[in-house]
Amino acid sequence: MIYLDNAATSFPKPESVYTAMDTFQRTLGGNPGRSGHRLATGAQAVLERTRRALARLLGAPDPSRVVFTLNATDALNIAIKGVLRPGDHVVTSAMEHNSVARPLAALERAGTIQVDRAANDAGGRIDVDSLCAKLRPGTRLVAVSWASNAFGTLQPVAEIAAAARANHTLVLLDAAQVAGSLPIDVGALSVDLLALPGHKGLLGPTGTGALWVKDGLDLAPWREGGTGGDSSDPLQPRQMPHRLEAGTHNIAGIAGLERGLEWLGARTVAEVRRHEMALCDELWTGLAAVPGVARYGPAAASARAALVSFRLDGYLPQEAAAILDTTFDIAVRAGLHCAPGSHRALGTAPDGTIRASVGPFSTAADIQALLSALKQMAAERPA
Amino acid sequence: MDADLERYHRQVILPEIGVEGQRRLLASKVVVVGCGALGTVSAPLLARAGVGHLTLVDRDFVERTNLQRQLLYDEDDVASSLPKAEAAAAKLRRANPDITIDAVVVDVNRDNVERLLAGASLVIDGADNFELRFLVNEACVKHGIPWVHAAAVATTGMQLTIIPGVTPCYACIVETAPDPGVAPTCDTAGVLAPAVAMVVCHQVTEALKILTANTKDLRGTLLSVDVWTNLSTEIEVKRRTAGAGCPVCVQRRFDHLEGRAGATLTSLCGRNAIQVGARPGGSVAFAEVAARVGAVARVTQNRFLMRFQVDGLDVTLFADGRAIVQGTDDATRARAVLAKYVGT
Repeated sequence: MIYLDNAATSFPKPESVYTAMDTFQRTLGGNPGRSGHRLATGAQAVLERTRRALARLLGAPDPSRVVFTLNATDALNIAIKGVLRPGDHVVTSAMEHNSVARPLAALERAGTIQVDRAANDAGGRIDVDSLCAKLRPGTRLVAVSWASNAFGTLQPVAEIAAAARANHTLVLLDAAQVAGSLPIDVGALSVDLLALPGHKGLLGPTGTGALWVKDGLDLAPWREGGTGGDSSDPLQPRQMPHRLEAGTHNIAGIAGLERGLEWLGARTVAEVRRHEMALCDELWTGLAAVPGVARYGPAAASARAALVSFRLDGYLPQEAAAILDTTFDIAVRAGLHCAPGSHRALGTAPDGTIRASVGPFSTAADIQALLSALKQMAAERPA
Repeated sequence: MDADLERYHRQVILPEIGVEGQRRLLASKVVVVGCGALGTVSAPLLARAGVGHLTLVDRDFVERTNLQRQLLYDEDDVASSLPKAEAAAAKLRRANPDITIDAVVVDVNRDNVERLLAGASLVIDGADNFELRFLVNEACVKHGIPWVHAAAVATTGMQLTIIPGVTPCYACIVETAPDPGVAPTCDTAGVLAPAVAMVVCHQVTEALKILTANTKDLRGTLLSVDVWTNLSTEIEVKRRTAGAGCPVCVQRRFDHLEGRAGATLTSLCGRNAIQVGARPGGSVAFAEVAARVGAVARVTQNRFLMRFQVDGLDVTLFADGRAIVQGTDDATRARAVLAKYVGT
């Protein structure tokens, strides 16, 4: 199986991720922060080491502001529902994944908040002028994805953050498609909230994710319950990260995530980025030589996350993906990629596109196999 | 004879039934799984015979092409698009108001089959696909419920009676469903109504023998009758003994019930489409499928896929047997169209 669906979840993981999870569960499987025995304190150590490693990856000075979540969707919900209050105004874009779009749309539909959506260009890049024009005095939040999960388009997040900052508006970034692929520095970016999955570019298992919350910003907890410490207080503690971390963690998953981060640190994010950009370049260029292929998003690999979105004439994207799987043993994703707005914005709704997304373990041979399969499919287009 | 048995006088005076047999029928509960051609013949026979509690289960609605052989329905049911189970129950309540008749409009699947069949004295096969028969077989073997299998396509009908613990089971004679498109279905090969009615008469008679405690009179063989050529065969069936024996009735492994076998259904992101997964190791002979489906729909194909449009839905079939059904987000409808035209 040639796996080119790393934007959904990375596969495979570094070997150390598998063994760390197995070892953790067999030798250290206690509940962190709940008891004083060795298994509990051992689990606590894993949790805190991984929290510090995540903080380092994000350029966050205070690890206690990094909250473990189930995935990026969970992190985005904690952020959106923790920040917004009745009457708030939010600016987002049409390019969002449902994990940003749906929580906002639900609050909007309920009459709780007002939402405006900034325009974008034909490649899916958010128009910063349009976004600025939507900002009002008192706009509470700008919520955007760093990169489109459907088209790969990297957004001008520094400019967006600067514009929001000037308007005293909080910025929530969804880093789902860039964490582990692009260097991140929350301080330099001047954002307030950053959501990321642990199971994509960070090479951890599914069921892991994180939310970084800027120092001084207090989110109302979206879920409440046990945190280990200060049990006598009838209310959720104010202290971070416990304020946003009720309930037992996916600690075995976090033990795996720790090794994913370690692997990434050794290889370096910059090197992973170079590798993925080279593969995306090769794919983008190669696709031009396949008759009947239409490519979407920016041409330059430097302007996109590690994925390429395209269509092949004569086949619906879902059909093409099924053929790649059944006949050529290649896994890609097809359809709307849970980002229907972005496909409407780029004119690829309702069928969507075929998305090939690479990871650190993808190779040039994988790209050539995909191109060869597409050429054969193009040569035998059904009537 | 008691007044409450008067309605059944002509069968009560049969020595095979008698007052005792009739009382047994009235105390029994029968579930008819599927109210198509098979079910609309068996259900009235069972209702009129006085089966005390009849449950009719079907996921479909009445369509005009049903009327040629589905004897309980009429033009009014088509016009009002009634669910088959409801339409059948309404008619049979008029035929025999003394019994209880339930209508259940549902796609029978692994999550609900055991609940649907719970407490049944006997199950009557009215299915139109292999998958459902595997499920019913496993549920019946697991809970020790007799079930009476019948099937018909073209001019031939087949019938087999399964009593768990006594006879071989359905999985003893059918190991796996044929690959998609290989087996003829009523919607690709056609079906003659008398072939259905003939086989159901055998099916219901076998059911009545079980319900009246006359199991000694059961036929015991797999019966196959072609009403057109008048060729009739009876095949001895044996419990599957190869290897560790029949996975269902010997090893009591219920792979379909527990989700280890059978199709996986995935609603495809963004498209009004359902992907029905392939069975492991499945493969499709496109030429064979094209020959069958081509009789009723225009088929386009290449090395990688074949497409055809039936019942307002676009079906794409792939080399490993997976299918994408477009034009619905209803998994039940997707499964139904594949069952009808591809036979999975």
